[in-house]
Amino acid sequence: MSFWELIVSLLGQGLVITLLTTVLAAILALVLGFIGGLMRLSKNKFIRFIVAIYVEVFRGTSLLVQLFWIYFVLPMFGLTMSALTAAVLAIGLNYGAYTSEVVRSGIQSVDKGQTEASIALNFTRVQRMRRIIIPQAFILMLPNLGNQLIELFKSTSLVALITLTDLTYQANVLNATTLQTTQIFTALLVIYFVIAWPMTKGMKMLERKMTEGRM
Amino acid sequence: MSEPIVRYNNVTKYFDDLQVLDGIDFEIQPGEKVALIGPSGSGKTTFARLLMTLEEITDGTIEVEGDYLWHEQDDNGDLKPASTEHLRKVRSNIGMVFQHFHLFPHMTVLENVMEAPVTVQGRDKKEAKKAAEEMLDKVGLLDKADSYPAQLSGGQKQRVAIARALVMNPKVLIFDEPTSALDPELVGEVLDVIKDIADQGDTSMLLITHEMDFAKEVADRIAFFDGGKIIEDGPPSEILYNPKAPRLKEFLERFMNTQSSPE
Repeated sequence: MSFWELIVSLLGQGLVITLLTTVLAAILALVLGFIGGLMRLSKNKFIRFIVAIYVEVFRGTSLLVQLFWIYFVLPMFGLTMSALTAAVLAIGLNYGAYTSEVVRSGIQSVDKGQTEASIALNFTRVQRMRRIIIPQAFILMLPNLGNQLIELFKSTSLVALITLTDLTYQANVLNATTLQTTQIFTALLVIYFVIAWPMTKGMKMLERKMTEGRM
Repeated sequence: MSEPIVRYNNVTKYFDDLQVLDGIDFEIQPGEKVALIGPSGSGKTTFARLLMTLEEITDGTIEVEGDYLWHEQDDNGDLKPASTEHLRKVRSNIGMVFQHFHLFPHMTVLENVMEAPVTVQGRDKKEAKKAAEEMLDKVGLLDKADSYPAQLSGGQKQRVAIARALVMNPKVLIFDEPTSALDPELVGEVLDVIKDIADQGDTSMLLITHEMDFAKEVADRIAFFDGGKIIEDGPPSEILYNPKAPRLKEFLERFMNTQSSPE
């Protein structure tokens, strides 16, 4: 295997892990974000308090420390998991906390008149959220959600530090074995950019498509 | 006279320490069209919003067709705050058209009108579509069925909002300053639609308005609000041409002065 074939093969394997981590963590973050955001708007003080604690803990500590904690500390309490599971869990929980704030503020930004019209038409609270408020809030949230997705994607490079063989991990291995530091880390830089850039564009397009002629 | 469709009993409303309604008694008869006039801050909008359950009642009771709106009777016959189910059941008799339309921007005109019949009333989609199209035809906007609200003029938006409220078959329809947010040249088309509904329907109407000519034309009765009370209440000819209360006289004079154009 030639030098370049080796690089492409290893980085390719790493890229698959990076993308897999991104997709799984993003799904978890989105689900947690919506649940958390809606709970934050609950009438029940206790429910709001629970979410506030979750959000503050995960915003107030670093993602790297959370990764270490879930991967290295939880096993001491008998909770052992694979590096991939730990990575998805840590990143999903961390970004879920931020997403819940995006969801909350998105829902609160929808014109109060929409709620009044829904009450006048006798919608239940759940019907109102599902049919009227969330579809409009989602469009307002899109730019923020897009930014977060890209941040999340880039943050997956941290998972190399809990032995998950992602793109950054493989680049490190290659660097240690070949010592071609410039080429390898430049390639790494380019790959991250080439993925992140279309993501930005894609979110912009989605935004345009969803608002076309409507708002 | 038949049973009133709406009855306010000693209704009081506070916003924190500010009293906006002061022990109001009022009745609306089935099919009756009542216009509410008065200076801004006099309580007329809050009066109507209590009936739509957009504001919570502080004291007193409101009955709709003999059912309490904000209350329920327990086994001993004592009043307790209404459950959500009870509130929704009684509220289903009431509809409202807002000053700023509040159409659903993410839905087409047809979807706006169909949404509540399908989601809230559980009506069959085909039937609801037909009913919605009928209503849009009634307000003269069937050709805009597939447009989005953002593509309509203010007058058209308000006519869609009227169709959206009507398709639910409310027994009482509230209009909260339906033309105040419109450009002057668009006021007429909306008033025409409201007039049509008033003429053909047995829907009771509660119309908050600053259009005195229109109130005179449409209303069976006008109630004048001031300082959280209904000061005077009677047929348009009495209220507008033979006012008794000094506050009403003053209000009408000021109103005519600002309305008359210097020709």
